[in-house]
Amino acid sequence: MGDNNPAAATTTSGFAIHPLLAPFPLAFFLGAFVTDLIYWRAPDAMWETFSVWLITAGLIMAGLSVVAALIDVVGGQHRTPALAPAWPHALVTAVAFVLALINAFVHSRDGYTAVVPTGLILSGLVVAILLCAAVWTGREAAYRHRVGALN
Amino acid sequence: MRILSQRTTSASRVMMMCVAVCGLGLAGCDDQGGDPAKQIGANPVLPEPQQYLLPPMRIARIAHWGEGETPAVPQGLQIRAVAKDLEHPRTVYALPNGDVLVVEANGPKAPINRPKDLIMGWVQSLAGANAKGGNRITLLRGVDGNKPGLRTVFLDHLNSPFGVALVGQNLYVANTDAIIRYPYTDGQTTITAAATKLTDLPGGPIDHHWTKSLLASPDGSKLYVGVGSNSNITENGIQAEYERAAIWEVDIRSGAHRIFASGLRNPTALQWEPQSGKLWAVANERDELGPDLVPDYLTSVQDGAFYGWPYSYYGQHVDPRVEPQRPDLVAKAIAPDYALSSHVAPLGLAMYSGGDFPAKFRSGAFVGEHGSWDRNPLNGYKVVFVPFADGKPSGPAQDFVTGFLNADNQARGRPVGLAFDRSGGLLIADDLGNTVWRVSSASTASAAKSTP
Repeated sequence: MGDNNPAAATTTSGFAIHPLLAPFPLAFFLGAFVTDLIYWRAPDAMWETFSVWLITAGLIMAGLSVVAALIDVVGGQHRTPALAPAWPHALVTAVAFVLALINAFVHSRDGYTAVVPTGLILSGLVVAILLCAAVWTGREAAYRHRVGALN
Repeated sequence: MRILSQRTTSASRVMMMCVAVCGLGLAGCDDQGGDPAKQIGANPVLPEPQQYLLPPMRIARIAHWGEGETPAVPQGLQIRAVAKDLEHPRTVYALPNGDVLVVEANGPKAPINRPKDLIMGWVQSLAGANAKGGNRITLLRGVDGNKPGLRTVFLDHLNSPFGVALVGQNLYVANTDAIIRYPYTDGQTTITAAATKLTDLPGGPIDHHWTKSLLASPDGSKLYVGVGSNSNITENGIQAEYERAAIWEVDIRSGAHRIFASGLRNPTALQWEPQSGKLWAVANERDELGPDLVPDYLTSVQDGAFYGWPYSYYGQHVDPRVEPQRPDLVAKAIAPDYALSSHVAPLGLAMYSGGDFPAKFRSGAFVGEHGSWDRNPLNGYKVVFVPFADGKPSGPAQDFVTGFLNADNQARGRPVGLAFDRSGGLLIADDLGNTVWRVSSASTASAAKSTP
């Protein structure tokens, strides 16, 4: 293999930005799922407040991450067969982000029903989807196609 | 590999559809409010509570009173502005000598506790509800045309004041965080003396329902204070509700207080009903359960009674948003006397107590319905009259002062506090139009024409 690994278009000092941003939504949403679980067991309004801010932060990072990914796709040297697994990844992630957005509205209700049961279920679902996506496509992209890896 | 990615795609398609269906299902049902008439009186029709992604909302955009424009009043009555260009007038209070105090105030800056608060701040600014309050009391003289007009700043640099009560030579002012007392002598047009604090009241840092209405007992020994809840439905924590959503009874000599009645989400405009001598109030009920829940109400306030908030409404209708629930308290909850229909936001109350209004308006309660953005179509934005017989409501509420909304449903004004002045004119504080209106009998037109 004499050719170079696919490069990311959005980079800073050579580091790809999309892989840098991509873990944040999952981390924030996972945090929200944990605070939701605590609220479910011990409904103190403070935990619900944590959850809704964590979901909001996750959505903001998701937005930035999507922008970086789009720039990579449009502007990068990416239109190669190597990037095929990026599409299922993008779709699954999009579903998770839409669910997270709905979850932010659910969490903006006042009182217990901001979390139990709909908010809690959505928080769990978002985390499950993003975890699966990260495990599968992350491995595909990084290990099989060496996206963003050093040459 | 290919099969797998296809599978993922179709799985995600299914999921997208689920999301879309869920979204529609949660946001789309029952957005329009029904006929408010079904929710007026002792037995309001209460639909099932709804939960929303985006609660139904209708913002009345701001218009302004044009030159010569006024609200509309029934035949036999007239209305005119007795003061304009005020700074968010909320309460009007008639002193025994005929002078009128206008409390100009708005709430303290609300903290951003959740992302929603940013959006609600924006909604409020669209509706003109965020306007700066004067934090002062203005004195108006001659509003009934019986004295030369005068307008002075009576008290300044207050802290979100709302209630006022004169007891003998002491004027009590309810700031949002304390009741303070000033010495007052008849005819005074401004107070420069320092205030003395009678008691602290539940104030910041959240201070969601900030207004503290005030009423003195007829013998001058007690003050009754309406203290609103610190949230819509305990979303700021039950700890934040300590001694809130209640009417306090404060001993005027010591400042000590007890909870006279509780479970009233936001009780304002405390008044004595003249025939029975009972304490009455209006209250704003909870939001976000639907356009027709929960009706705001007018009620007599019984000593020691619990009116349900936050655990239940209209007696034993349990609110699913409060956890842990309290079946013991729900069992004790009593229903208020008279529903005014949902989201009318009553903030003013005046009991008719003598004057020359047409006969059909001579026994009953006038209620200032501020209106809100929690319902489509809009409800409130008017002053209604609830007829009373034997000290109790005796019929459906009738529109009394209307026209705060123009033909395009834009708000020119929003009525708040009400009071009868010494000559039997009904004063209305309009906090959007920054005006005080006065309704009087058309037969006394000539005397009232000389505007101060």
